[in-house]
Amino acid sequence: MTDTPPPPSDAPLTPDEETEALAAELALGLLAGDEAEAARKRMVEDTEFAAMVRLWQERLAGMANELTPVMAPTSARLGIQRSLGHGNQPLADVPQIHRGRGGSAGGSGGWMGWLLGAVAAGAVALAVILLPGQDQPGYVAQLAMEGMMVEAQVEGREIRVAMMEGEAHEGRDMELWWIAGPEATPVSLGLVPRDGSMTMALPEGLEPGTDVQLAISDEPLGGSPTGQPTGDIMAHSTLTQT
Amino acid sequence: MLERRRAEIEALIARVALGDRQAFDALYEATSAKLHAVCLSILKERPLAEEVLQEVYIRIWNNAGRYAANGLSPMTWLITIARNRAIDRLRAENGQPPAAPAEAAEAVASATPGPEEQVIRKEQRRMLDNCLDEMGEAQALALRAVYLEGASYAELAQSAGAPINTVRSWLRRGLVQLKDCVSQ
Repeated sequence: MTDTPPPPSDAPLTPDEETEALAAELALGLLAGDEAEAARKRMVEDTEFAAMVRLWQERLAGMANELTPVMAPTSARLGIQRSLGHGNQPLADVPQIHRGRGGSAGGSGGWMGWLLGAVAAGAVALAVILLPGQDQPGYVAQLAMEGMMVEAQVEGREIRVAMMEGEAHEGRDMELWWIAGPEATPVSLGLVPRDGSMTMALPEGLEPGTDVQLAISDEPLGGSPTGQPTGDIMAHSTLTQT
Repeated sequence: MLERRRAEIEALIARVALGDRQAFDALYEATSAKLHAVCLSILKERPLAEEVLQEVYIRIWNNAGRYAANGLSPMTWLITIARNRAIDRLRAENGQPPAAPAEAAEAVASATPGPEEQVIRKEQRRMLDNCLDEMGEAQALALRAVYLEGASYAELAQSAGAPINTVRSWLRRGLVQLKDCVSQ
């Protein structure tokens, strides 16, 4: 990690800088024992310190953008549903949220009104996500390999990847790559689900079109360690408009 | 993050807070690949990362109601939960006590950030890459190892071949510099 020895430190940190560093350490999970305990307590009691910690979380989260999304196996989702007792209800049975009418639900306005407003806003935003823009064409690519078929569908800014036939090889993962053109560097879209399907938002900067190629490479478990394909290309196909 | 995506995820979390399972499914589809990557980056082992990812979404379901009050942007809140759970798990696997700020960081109420504060935060996120570059290579590498791989001071000290206290004051100084740089 650090080959060079740390440079000699200059002047000690000022009290304000000490507090800032402590907030960063708490956000990073670098504190232990009594120090961690004291910092957590301070976070609850000292709103200014709590705001510093949150600002660090906000700044640092930018680093997670460097990580290539990795699709989780279907078993993770099933495990969550089982733990929460959600079961495999058909969508029609899922309780719908009703907008309610005016103040009938809980007095006039107040937090209930705010809540219902928030729900209505949520419903509108979701409708925007779920309805692909009419003007945006959809695309599909079918990637056939020995004993397996993977289909990728692009609707608006979403891509759905499904294992249509067959099963991934035991002990290996398949990684899906987006290649924007003949000279373009492949961009990882994460791992192909071992069974079932997975939908994710297209990373920013990727524009669907008929010059885009999708490819699947054979990778160790967890996907390419380098961020570029390391194993054999098992299949590739251009996007075609649906 | 695009403003629209931010608003979509925020709206989904608000609906999850009301027990809306459909919104929870949609939130899972939109964010699980990223959160899985966070868990995997820290834990380096798929079955473990999958287990922690499940804990993360169970927590999101149970705690979504606290989100609106904590003032974090939606992806930061989700990433922070994933990272904290993964780090606690990493420490537990190594027989160390938990180090993440736990509940506190996810739940302490704050005033909702006003538009100005939101602009400042966005700006700081944008500056982060530049500032990490300016920070000095070794410090930036150490910070990445801490944030993305859950390295502890003891591990940093070992790989640098220096005493823990030396490494600690060196990194603390780097963090203060980073803060000054992003807030310019």
